[in-house]
Amino acid sequence: MKPNPIMLEVFKNKLSSVSEEMGVSLNRTAFSPNIKERRDFSCAVFDDKGDMIAQAAHIPVHLGSMPMSVKEAIKHHQFEEGDMVVLNDPFKGGTHLPDITIVAPVFIKESDKPVFFVANRAHHSDVGGMSSGSMPLATSIFQEGIIIPPLKLVKKGEIDKQLLSFFLNNVRTPYEREGDFLAQIMANITGVKRMKELIDKYSIDTVEFYAKNLINYSESIMRKTIKQIPDGTYSFEDFMDGDGIEKEKIKIAVKITIDKDKAVLDFTKTDRQVEGSINAVYSITLSAVLYVFRSLVKEDIPTNAGCLKPIEVITKKGSLVDAAFPASVVGGNVETSQRIVDVILGALSKALRGKIPAASQGTMNNVAIGGIDERTGEPFTYYETLGGGMGASSNLKGESAIHSHMTNTLNTPIEALEYSYPFMVEEYSIRKNSGGIGKFCGGDGLIRAIKLMSDAEITVLSERRLLAPYGLNGAKSGKKGKNLIVRNNKTEEMPHKFNTKVKKGDVLIIETPGGGGYGKENS
Amino acid sequence: MEIVGVDTGGTFTDFIYKHENKWGVYKILSSPHNPAQSLLEGLKHTLKTSEFKIIHGSTVATNAILERKGAYTALITNKGFEDVIEIGRQNRMQLYNLHYKRQPQLVSKELRFGLDCRINSKGEIIKDIDETELEQIKRVLEKIKPESIAVCLLFSYLNPKHELFIEQSLEQLKLPISLSHRILSEFREYERASTTIINAYVSPKMKRYIKNIIDDIGGNELRIMQSNGGSISAEVAMQEPVRTILSGPAGGAVGAYEIGKMAGYTKLITFDMGGTSSDVALIDNKLPLAFESKIADFPVKVPMIDIHTVGAGGGSIAYLDAGGSLRVGPESAGADPGPICYGKGDRITVTDANLYLKRLVPEYFLGGNMRLDEEKLKMHFENMAKEVGLDEIELAEGILDVANASMEKAIRVISVERGFDPREFVLFSFGGAGGMHAAFLAKLLHIPKVFVPQNPGILSAIGMLMADIIKDYSLTVMLKNESTDFKQIKSLFKPLDERGIADLEKEGISKSNIVLEHYLDMRYLGQSYEIMVPYDEDYTNRFHALHKQNYGYSDENKKIEIVNIRLRAKGMPEKPEFAVMEYDKTTPDADAILGTKQVVFDSKEHKTTIVAREKLKHGNVVESPAIVVEYSSTIVLPPGSTGVVDKFGNIIIDVEGGSNEA
Repeated sequence: MKPNPIMLEVFKNKLSSVSEEMGVSLNRTAFSPNIKERRDFSCAVFDDKGDMIAQAAHIPVHLGSMPMSVKEAIKHHQFEEGDMVVLNDPFKGGTHLPDITIVAPVFIKESDKPVFFVANRAHHSDVGGMSSGSMPLATSIFQEGIIIPPLKLVKKGEIDKQLLSFFLNNVRTPYEREGDFLAQIMANITGVKRMKELIDKYSIDTVEFYAKNLINYSESIMRKTIKQIPDGTYSFEDFMDGDGIEKEKIKIAVKITIDKDKAVLDFTKTDRQVEGSINAVYSITLSAVLYVFRSLVKEDIPTNAGCLKPIEVITKKGSLVDAAFPASVVGGNVETSQRIVDVILGALSKALRGKIPAASQGTMNNVAIGGIDERTGEPFTYYETLGGGMGASSNLKGESAIHSHMTNTLNTPIEALEYSYPFMVEEYSIRKNSGGIGKFCGGDGLIRAIKLMSDAEITVLSERRLLAPYGLNGAKSGKKGKNLIVRNNKTEEMPHKFNTKVKKGDVLIIETPGGGGYGKENS
Repeated sequence: MEIVGVDTGGTFTDFIYKHENKWGVYKILSSPHNPAQSLLEGLKHTLKTSEFKIIHGSTVATNAILERKGAYTALITNKGFEDVIEIGRQNRMQLYNLHYKRQPQLVSKELRFGLDCRINSKGEIIKDIDETELEQIKRVLEKIKPESIAVCLLFSYLNPKHELFIEQSLEQLKLPISLSHRILSEFREYERASTTIINAYVSPKMKRYIKNIIDDIGGNELRIMQSNGGSISAEVAMQEPVRTILSGPAGGAVGAYEIGKMAGYTKLITFDMGGTSSDVALIDNKLPLAFESKIADFPVKVPMIDIHTVGAGGGSIAYLDAGGSLRVGPESAGADPGPICYGKGDRITVTDANLYLKRLVPEYFLGGNMRLDEEKLKMHFENMAKEVGLDEIELAEGILDVANASMEKAIRVISVERGFDPREFVLFSFGGAGGMHAAFLAKLLHIPKVFVPQNPGILSAIGMLMADIIKDYSLTVMLKNESTDFKQIKSLFKPLDERGIADLEKEGISKSNIVLEHYLDMRYLGQSYEIMVPYDEDYTNRFHALHKQNYGYSDENKKIEIVNIRLRAKGMPEKPEFAVMEYDKTTPDADAILGTKQVVFDSKEHKTTIVAREKLKHGNVVESPAIVVEYSSTIVLPPGSTGVVDKFGNIIIDVEGGSNEA
């Protein structure tokens, strides 16, 4: 049977509404600022095998990894009506420990097996581990927090109090965590309810038929998109500055083979996993691949399992892009994911000349500052990521001071910052002339200078401090980023990843990288 | 005295006027290049006396931004923070666009000046202004000759001294200066700067426009509609034109609110279907307000009626996409070329689908003055039906189904997603095309009743006549709840109250007719979003309760911050009253029935009555299927629904009992 074009469009609306309404519910009821304001969460609907049908567009890095969580949940558990499974284990469907996923089945009377699943993932601001905020410079997963394998958190509608209390006893902010968990459960209840309403209205056969056809729909458009890439093999490699512990210049390599409407991405030439926390599990690599290919699609399509069907991703277990237990992985999500995007785009730039931009800043510039606020005597912790330059395109200057690729979180206003923390912001500006020079220049990075008004401890996880974001077609690279600390009027350059103590009056200056340029200057 | 409401928002400039208990309506083609022209021209037709008052909704400020035809504007801010307005919140509006480009800035780099001065979060001056540095900036300004200046310094709302000093120093330049602490006394520097810049950017243009009208109306009163649903004097509108941004749809919401209330309905979902988009808003006993909106991606933080827009309207184009799905919009045929049936277009639109199913009656469309080409339509439907693989009727109904699905989604966003059950509301439909879709949309959402007011095509202008005079004030105070109390907050409100009363008295409102509403923006410590809580002795408990209602939880043990205080000063002008019709009878007069026609519903032709709205009387019942026609709108009553005319001439359609179609 052929899908009716009208019903296909109507179901596209209906199913995306389900995931969007889950997102609204989660956002409304969540407790922590990280979920409410930075919107660090995603919601999606899956078929009975765990293939994604529709996702609310929130965070690119969750894209490819959500289905793996659902599939792991299905693999480990027999579901009954009202059950929900929780997990964060990066080696069993997770990405890094702060991202916790909860999966719920949709049952109907006529079937004793789930007909659909809904799931949501949220970034919890603390899951235990060696440092507050759970984003440490770690060397093993055990230092990063509590590991949750797929476990039934809700059984027939009842929350497992013992399991919950075990978890809450292992985190620094149990109260907030419990609130966020309840919000995640509520979001799934909303999703299940909406799916049942759809089934009641249209019958299970119709909903299943159009769910399947929406996956086919996205697949067919993705295939058309890949078909427009000339057949051939395109390779590219780039490097991470280092893991902050043992090693610098860590290679990520990809070989992309385009064969008509199929793409194979082979990452096997990538370096082995490292001791420091920048290892990426397979699902992060998958997310980066999906992000890039989804960005090539011009149409507004549902991001679902169909998008990945024409794409094969080959990695070597135990490598930087497919980390094996017990690697530390917390930075893989925020830093390595950006470089994976850089190499995929670099390879594609050889195939799609003029259509792929030069490298963007390639980092999220994670800054964490903690200490005791002298004004109140209360402890404080501050975490933020900073934007930088975007790569230039063949006909466009790169945008400046902006988040690119795998993240899109907001900054904290200066006035809000100075109310809440013992900081005085001395400068927040665009870092002039930091974009790579070319026919079209890369976007400029930014400068954020924060004077500490109390003693504090600073942790920075950043990249592109040693190796610059590449330019394309004869243009220059963007300027490398810089981490500086001014103590007693003496400026000290800090490494790409560091942890240090500072005194009241010291100034932290982060200069973020510029984007690469495009095309020879004056050409 | 005569009062006139004028809305210049659309293709037509709409007038509604009341003179000695007589109402009149007038429409004239808008003159977008110079909106004052059609306004003044129309007034000639509507004014019956030399004493009158005009309330006007203007799109001059909005269009100046959308078309980037505002003033050459300079910005003065703190040194080191000149780029704050360009960085914004460092996010991109499109997630999957590798070539994302921000909107070009309203103030370019060379027009942004940094002054080495600083105030901290307690309002203390850390570094004073260096007058020679300011002198230098002044000399540069004299050379580059901007037309308007915006000033936004960090923490100026806590201590305006530096901003005031700059204003004073630049007085000789004789330029309009917008100070951020006056435009928006709230924290978050980017949003405050953006709002201030927008004000500066549009103010010279707005001034010229309003002066032009004032010069022509010889001392009569001119009031301007704001986006918060109230009006302000022309004088204030020239100073603070940012308050008129996006005010067009506000008139419609106010009109719906007032007319609904009069007819006994206070829970409304408004639905205004236009050519390229549809606006929806949820009114739960009061007008919904939002405190931050965007225009061309720039934040505008002035209170606005909370209206949600979706890109589906009468002109939305239908096409089969690359994956075989039938899409409708967001691309629109607009006014030019317009739908196929208007003559010039060649892509099928929602309006064409309505006509193809005969739900639009050509003989009565715009009083029969505009020819609709049904022949041309036939060929296009045949071709597209072949392409899509359906028959023509299925295609036409499908186009409407898809358009309705996206409008349904928009209504779900403002109702279900915010914890409201649409079944408790009435769908208040206006705009020219709304009445053709409202009953179907109501069914999809299980809304039992549709309300179509008199003159649905000019509801915005009616709303302007009914609007209160409203002035909003706010101030960031950032207080810990445990270390303050009702009395202390009251003393903080005092200067705002005085300002509000003085401003309204200037607007000609006597003190006894002024209502002051006080609110607090509160949050739990550590959050960065606030809830607006009515300020009375019980404000702390109210906050917990509202937080629970909005976000599903509350916690009495958590510390609370009071972020902003807000004053809404309202002057209640005398409102025009509508005439009440005498009860007639259930059966409409014979002359109200214009004939019958075969119209398609649920893939079948139905014999359908064509009814003249102007002949309907109080108590008349319109049996379905029927199409009620009037000059600027068409109302479709599908099989199973029933319409009743109330004493104000509104039609209330009961959609229950109809089939539950997709």
